[in-house]
Parts: sequence; structure tokens; C-alpha cells
Amino acid sequence: MRIFWRIFKRILLYFLLTGATLVMSFPLFWMISSSLKTLEETNSAGIVWLPKIPTLVAYFNIFKNTDFLRSYFNSVFYSSLALAGTLFSIAVVAYAFSRIEWPGKKVVFFLMLSTMMIPAQALIVPQYVFFNKLGWIGSFNPIIIPGYFAGGAAMVFLLRQSMAQIPKELDEAAVVDGASHLQIFWEVVLPLCKAPLATVATFLFVGLWNSLLAPLMYLQTVNLYTLPVYVSTLYNINLTVQQWPTIMAAAVLTTVPLIVVFFIAQRFILDGVVVSGLKG
Amino acid sequence: MVRNPYIDAVLTALLAIIFIIGSSVGIGMLARFIAKLAGATRRKQENTFAGYLFASPWIVGFLIFVIIPMAFSLYWSFTDYRVVSNEPAQWVGFDNYNQLIMKDEGFHASIVNTLFLTAIGLPLQMAVALFLAVLLNRKMRGERIFRMAFYLPVVLGFNTAVLLAWRLMLNTGTGIINQLIRALTKAFPPYGYLNRALIFFQEVISALFLGISNGNFNLLNQVIKAGFPAENRVPLWVQSPLWSKMSVVLLMIWGCGTMMLIFLAGLKNIPKELSEAAEVDGASNWKRFWRISFPLLTPYIFYNLVVGLISSLQIFEPIYVLYRDNQPLVSSVISMVYYLWQASFRHFEIGYGSAISWLILLIILIVTVIQFKMQNRWVNYDLY
Repeated sequence: MRIFWRIFKRILLYFLLTGATLVMSFPLFWMISSSLKTLEETNSAGIVWLPKIPTLVAYFNIFKNTDFLRSYFNSVFYSSLALAGTLFSIAVVAYAFSRIEWPGKKVVFFLMLSTMMIPAQALIVPQYVFFNKLGWIGSFNPIIIPGYFAGGAAMVFLLRQSMAQIPKELDEAAVVDGASHLQIFWEVVLPLCKAPLATVATFLFVGLWNSLLAPLMYLQTVNLYTLPVYVSTLYNINLTVQQWPTIMAAAVLTTVPLIVVFFIAQRFILDGVVVSGLKG
Repeated sequence: MVRNPYIDAVLTALLAIIFIIGSSVGIGMLARFIAKLAGATRRKQENTFAGYLFASPWIVGFLIFVIIPMAFSLYWSFTDYRVVSNEPAQWVGFDNYNQLIMKDEGFHASIVNTLFLTAIGLPLQMAVALFLAVLLNRKMRGERIFRMAFYLPVVLGFNTAVLLAWRLMLNTGTGIINQLIRALTKAFPPYGYLNRALIFFQEVISALFLGISNGNFNLLNQVIKAGFPAENRVPLWVQSPLWSKMSVVLLMIWGCGTMMLIFLAGLKNIPKELSEAAEVDGASNWKRFWRISFPLLTPYIFYNLVVGLISSLQIFEPIYVLYRDNQPLVSSVISMVYYLWQASFRHFEIGYGSAISWLILLIILIVTVIQFKMQNRWVNYDLY
């Protein structure tokens, strides 16, 4: 009897988990399925799980849309430029907080952690005025350059935790050999931090790719729009009929890089969430 | 000459790097000089130089992008300042704050709406996250796949593209969610009653919040007078002011992956012996969870609560994508940050916007401090 109860519980568990998985990934499935439908099928009164005859018309439409293609390029361009600088500066600062003893380190570190409490939105108004004075409105600069100053305290913290775990003897040996901090950073610490660097890079990329508020404020003209800003204009409340298949094709193409990165880096992400969360 | 935005961005990035390196070396040398004056050893001087050299990108950025802007916005919050009019800021004292706290109904509504997301959305989000974490906390095949599936929504997050997919699914007439509800009701009539009860319950709560936000409880009366919903009723997701906030809550629940991973880490941290001892004593699963796991999990619940509150008080994207320009509806769902964005960047009232952002900051700070003060009443740190 007991054994049946056990088997039953196992089945129930898998049933629940599979159900939850289906629910959680349903929007993704629906997005892909709708992008292959005709307009009639997306607005049909009955349930159309999969299009009868999958059609790529929506994809042809979106590929003919030069604004969309340009916004795709803009997103790739700005994310990679911002990612490179941000990642490097975060690594540099994390090194200062983990491998060097300097007066004032504790105070500065505490300050940095407390900035995590400040919501980004509290700063957008004055930052906007500041960038306006610099003449940066209507350019990519305001969404790229701030990251170069080690933007993202949580990410610095995550990397610092990993760097602090590298045995100190390694640097001491390097110091005896006459290496400078710059050399130790570049030749000893960075190569040992490949996995945490990948974690941080993934988080940064996801954040940049999804970012809506800042690009919306600063880019202003359609030729600079990044994907989230452009795609949001595809859905227009004033239209009576939304071109759902085309919108969903754009949505699929927008999410593809996220999904690819997620599957490649899932090991780093799933562990990184817990590290950055719990020790903070 | 028309500037190429891409070359422009690359050149500015290079300039920024030169600026950062220059200022870092400067700060490092200054720190070394001070250390020298203080009579530090040569080794210590070198470390001081290196420390400040490496930390400076953040220090400089903190000054430029956090401290100075905050100081300016504090000043502007006491002024009447519009960017477009090109006039200097005019000191108006506490007028902005007075207007916001005492009179501005739009801002009051945005606070109540955000409160709804926090009071209704956050507990639901945490409950689902905890439920999924408990399910995942056993030895089994495919754990990794399930974890990935539950975390994927966080990565897709509030990306506009995914929000639009939700918009399609939430269509009242033809959206898949309502079609599934109709199909289920037809196939399995008892579900219809559950559905209608949920609809009634949700509408009463939403109408109550709407009443609080505009001081007019007619809608609540109407909902109660209408009584139990008719047989063919479905949720009016993105169509009715009674449902607009619930749609955002749905999105919050969907994105519970981060919380789930935190809970899962907490559950895995609980020593197996505790649970096994209780099993020997004949405690049921249910009892073991509430008496042993749950109290030991409270630090993780606390963490999720603090972080979840901060992020739910800052919600913006779903409201922008789903409800922007949707005139009668937007006031029923507008959040504090959306209101800030609207005042600052649609109406370009920088002074007023600054006052809003300081109030938001203050609210977040107060809520967080209260949570930390309350934590020793219920958070159990026995394990740590």
C-alpha cells in the first residue's frame, strides 16, 4: 500500500511540475505560434493552437521593415558597446574591493552597497537634465557611457565575492616576482574568474537588451530606437485592428538572442542569482 | 555636417575611457600623496595608490551620476523648472510637495495603484515562488529543466516583445486565456462557479482600491449590487479599470523565478536531519513544512519581501507597454514611476518630477526601514 502511495506522489509531483512548466513557457509558445498565423487566425473566436498552414508572411513583412532592422542593429550595437565597457570597469572595481588593502575601502564599499537601495528612477530626472546640457539627448551616449563607470553595484558585488575566494598566496607570489597590481589583475585574477565574468556578462546583456525606460527617454528619433522602444510602437492603441502576426514575428526575433544566451549561460545564471542575492 | 550616431557613440566611449583613466590616476596619486603626508610606509603608499586607482571608476561615476544629480534634483524639487521654456528654475518652496501630497489626484491614484500591486501582487508572487520551490526541492530527474523553465520568464522579463505577447493573450474576446476559461467552463461546469467566484472577488477588491484612489465608491456599490457574475462572464483583462491592475499582477506572478531560486537555495540549506527526526516522530508532511521548514525559511522570505517590495514599487514597463495612451484606462493602473515619467518627460516639468522622485525614494526608504525594524518579530536566524 505504502509503495503505491509513494508512486502516486511521484506521479502527482511530475504532473504538477510539468503543468507549471507548460504554463510558464506558454507565452513563448503562443508568441511563436501566433507569428506563423494569419491575421484571421490570431483574431479567431475559437482556439487556434497551431496555424493550419504555417505562413512566414509575418516574417517577410517584418524583414521588409527597415525601421525594425535598424532598431535590431541599434540594439546589438549599443548592447555590445555598453557591455564591453561595463564588464571591464566592473572587473577593475571588484579587484579593488577584493584584492587590495587600502584605507577607506570599507567606507567606499558600504557606500556602494547602499546605492543598491536607490531606485534608478529617482535619478532619471536630474540625469536627463545633465545629459541635455552635454548635448547628448538624441544619441546613444546616455545609455552607454554611465555603465563605463562600473554601473551596477550588485554586479560589482557578485564579482567581488568570487575574486575574494582566489587564494591570496597567488598574488603574493606574483608580488615577489615583481609584478604590479595591473599585471596581477590581468594575468592572475581575470583568467581565474572566467565563470563569474560570464555570469556578470549575461546579467548585463539581459538588462541592456530589455531596457526600455532610458532608451525611451534619450533616443527620441526612430532611426536611433532600440528594439524594445521600436517594438512598443508596433502596438498602437489607436488602430482598430492590430497586426498581431507581424508584431509577434518582431517579438520572436527580439527574444531569440535572450533565449540563446539563456540556454548557453543557464548554468552561470541559475547559480549567480543565488550568490548575488543571498550574500547581499 | 550630419553626425553619424554610431561613430559618435564609439568616439564618446573612447573619450570616456580616457577620462576615467585620467581621473583614476589623479585620484590615486592624490590618495598616495595624502598617505605619504600621514607617514605611511612605502608599501602602504603603493597599496593606497592601487586601491584608489582601481576603485576610482566607481567613485567618479558615483559622484557624477548619483551624488550630483541627487543634489540638483533635491534643489529642483523646490522650484518651478521646465526644460522646454528655457527659463531658469524659480524657487517655490514646498509648493511642489504640497501640491503632490495634498491635491494631486493623479499622484494619489498612482500610489494606490502601486499599493495594489504590492499588497495583492507581491504575496501571490511569493506564494507561487514558494510553491514551485517546494516542488523542486527533492531528488528527481530533470530538476535542471524545470528550474530553467521557471526562470526563463525572468530573463524575458518585462521585454516589450514579451509584454506584447501577453497583450495578445489577454484580449477579452479572442485572447487565448479567456478562450481557455470558456472552454474549461463548458467542459467542466463546476469550474464555471469557481471562475465566477474569483471574478466577483477580484472585482470587489479592485473596485475597493479604485474607490480609495478617487474617493468615489459608486463602482464598488455597483459591483456588489450586480451580485454573483452571470454564467458567461470572463475576466475583462486589459479592457476594464476593474481588471487593468490584475493583468499586471499576472505578469508579476509569471516572473517569480528569481524568488523561486532564492527559496530553493533556502530549502536546500535546511539540514536533512531536522526533517528526518520529525518524520520519525510521526509528523505529517504538511506539519513538517509549517513547523520546521517554514520558520527556517523566514530569512529568505524576508529577503524576497524586501527586494520584491522595492521592485514592485518601481514598476513601469508593463504599464507603459500595455496601457500607454489608453485614455480612460490608464488612470486606473498608472504607477508611481509611470506618473514620474509622465510629468517629467511628457510635460517636461522637471521641478515637479524631481519632487515626485524624492517622494518615491522616501516611500521606498520608509517601507524598507519598517521591514528591517519588524524583522526580529518574525524572522528566525537560528540556522545562521
